[in-house]
Amino acid sequence: MPDIALKLEGIYKSFGGIHALKDVSFELSEGEVHALLGENGAGKSTLIKILTGVHKMDSGTIQVQGKTVTIEDPVDARHKGIGAIYQELSLVDSLTVAENIFLGHEPITSFFGTLRKKELIRRAAEYLSSFGIEIDPSTFVGDLGLGQKRIVEIIKALSINANILLLDEPTTGMSRVEIDTLFEIMDDLKLKKVNMIYISHHLDEVFRVCDRATVLRDGQNAGTFEIDKVDLKTLVKSMLGRTLKEEFPVREGRPSEETILEIEEFKTDKMLAPVSFSLKKGEILGITGIIGSGKSELALGLFGADRAVKGKLSIAGKEMRLNSPDDAKRHGISFIPEDRKEQGLFLRLNVEHNICVANIDLAIKNGIISSKKKSEIAKETSEKLKIRPLDIKMAVQNLSGGNQQKVVIGKWLCGEPDILILDEPTRGIDIGAKTEIYSLINYLADSGTGILILSSEFREMSAICDRILVIRKGTVVAELEGKDSSTEQLLTLALGG
Amino acid sequence: MENETEKNDRSAFVSKFLRLLKGELGLILILVALMVVFSLMSPYFFTSRNLLNITRQVSITLIVAIGMTFVILTGEIDLSVGSSAALVGVATAAVLNATGSIFLGLIAGLILGVGIGLANGVLTVYGRVQSFIVTLAMMGIARGAALVWTGGKPISRLPVDFAIMGAGYLGPVPVSTIIAAGVFILAFFVLNRTKHGVYVKSIGANREAARLSAIPVRKYRVLAFVISGLMSALGGILITSKLLSAQPTAAEGLEMNVIAAVILGGASLSGGVGTVLGTLLGAMVIGVIDNGMNLVGVSSFFQQIVKGVIILVAVLAKRSD
Repeated sequence: MPDIALKLEGIYKSFGGIHALKDVSFELSEGEVHALLGENGAGKSTLIKILTGVHKMDSGTIQVQGKTVTIEDPVDARHKGIGAIYQELSLVDSLTVAENIFLGHEPITSFFGTLRKKELIRRAAEYLSSFGIEIDPSTFVGDLGLGQKRIVEIIKALSINANILLLDEPTTGMSRVEIDTLFEIMDDLKLKKVNMIYISHHLDEVFRVCDRATVLRDGQNAGTFEIDKVDLKTLVKSMLGRTLKEEFPVREGRPSEETILEIEEFKTDKMLAPVSFSLKKGEILGITGIIGSGKSELALGLFGADRAVKGKLSIAGKEMRLNSPDDAKRHGISFIPEDRKEQGLFLRLNVEHNICVANIDLAIKNGIISSKKKSEIAKETSEKLKIRPLDIKMAVQNLSGGNQQKVVIGKWLCGEPDILILDEPTRGIDIGAKTEIYSLINYLADSGTGILILSSEFREMSAICDRILVIRKGTVVAELEGKDSSTEQLLTLALGG
Repeated sequence: MENETEKNDRSAFVSKFLRLLKGELGLILILVALMVVFSLMSPYFFTSRNLLNITRQVSITLIVAIGMTFVILTGEIDLSVGSSAALVGVATAAVLNATGSIFLGLIAGLILGVGIGLANGVLTVYGRVQSFIVTLAMMGIARGAALVWTGGKPISRLPVDFAIMGAGYLGPVPVSTIIAAGVFILAFFVLNRTKHGVYVKSIGANREAARLSAIPVRKYRVLAFVISGLMSALGGILITSKLLSAQPTAAEGLEMNVIAAVILGGASLSGGVGTVLGTLLGAMVIGVIDNGMNLVGVSSFFQQIVKGVIILVAVLAKRSD
């Protein structure tokens, strides 16, 4: 029996009568990397927030190195040796690497409390080199790439002598090389007796770096597994509570012959180059390319959000000009933007408001909103999309990422659009929610909606699209049949091989 | 099963009620506390005559504050309301005296108010200048225009009939209270039961998401300033009517009282949060403080300090829960 670094027992937590965590237990042994898995909304974030002192649990016990502790707030968590790295970075761009690492606990002189700058740089350099990282501690963080920033973040979390480190989706936005470096650092940390809790939707990463995995489902324990004795299917099944038939549901319908959207040499002030294509009723057309290839700009242009400067755009055979998103909506176009927090949601407002906002006309009679009709629309849409928890009066900011994404989709779904544009619709959400979104896209296409998906997930594109356009530096460089394409082929085309 | 849904409905209702209380309960408590204190300190305070008098005194602040609520909900500010009210008062009186028609005077005043609001809105939204700057400039321009127009002297000798709006009574109830109540009900309806309300709240909560939700954002942002301009015009007309004289220096500092009422009412200067019910309560709190301290005989210099402290305490108390 190895020593236990951290033990959680019987943790309960509810928000406004809804159980987020119900009798959850978790155990982190000395010297292990333990994955915490579950769908969006399964309770992972809540558990992490209890551990880091952001939320208070309703009942339960936390033991650190065998001693029962209470964690008052985030500062207290750090004192107890619990460090955390979140998806969103907490670094200050205008400070140096060294200053960031010691932010909040800088070495100071005993007399006047002034900063000991040399000491700061020396200690930061020491830390960095102990992990074999070649970053100059006097560089400004703003000058670093995302992967390097993430590494600085880890060093920062460790600088408080953390022996329990929480990593929440640490590889988001990192390149393959940077991910490899991260994993090397994690191996190194293990030797240095730092115990880690690893949260990720990427199960391949879990198989690569973790020793054990604990799965949460609907706020309860759904099992703990030894990674070398378990397979992907078992893990997924335990996360979903059912066997996932297929990650990508089979498409039954076929596109019709009728063109619903056509652009010719179309360009906005933000697009890099003019683009031409046509979209048929009931077709799922993918546009793929690497980050920065100009996909989002095209989407915003088609939705009338940027100013068109060139070319023709016709909807159902009629040429027109879309001067605003409002215009685009009137012509049956809906758009699900890439960044749900910045572009898609009213985070402080409730689910009902967020779902009804774009199609409020449906709930209006003689100029007056019927609150009954409004909540009916919100409820029906939430049920159709399986938004959890099913509480339309809940502020959207309290939902998990996947459920937030469903709300953004719900906003347009209730208006039954003719053309639906989705920009990175599955970014940062789990397998279960992804599959649900793919099924929904299939369903919409089968009922005649023209679907345009912009995504840089090549695997997803080749699996779900009828037809794929590859875009590079704003120009369409290839057109493929979805079923004939492969991930490698798309990647090569997108990179310009 | 039936029982279950009924229970759910009831608990949903209770939680909705609690939410409402949490938002406005603090203000109601402050209001009650102030009224108890002033009643104990002055025998004249808790009389129907004085209470109605408070509603009359509050009516102008409230009307302008309702316009301001629309602006603050969209995440902007309108500093020009006091000056606009003064300029509109002057214009109304001038047209009234020139034509002899109260109706024409009112129309001219209201159109001027809409014009000032439109200018504020267009410059902020299409000119892409911060509303703080635009309306600060407008504050100077409108006040200056009122002073230049009148040479600094009030326009008086207005027809006595014109005093009905600001100083008249319908039975025991001041006419200006009735006008304010009408404006309140209309604004409450617009914000809670029409598309306009949904759009305004959305724009304040996240402008980019509002735009990408196909809301004509610019139109509704401009409209908020227009409503504020219209409400300041109505306020200016009532002030002129009450005094039966248009003072170019009228309503000085009105913007501060109005913004205080809206913020006290729970609105956030960053937009998206706020209700007209809150604004009503905020304006009432300020009105009761003013009236009560006058009755008790607190010096007007000292009054300002007390008012400032109460506003700070109230806002801090709301933050902590």
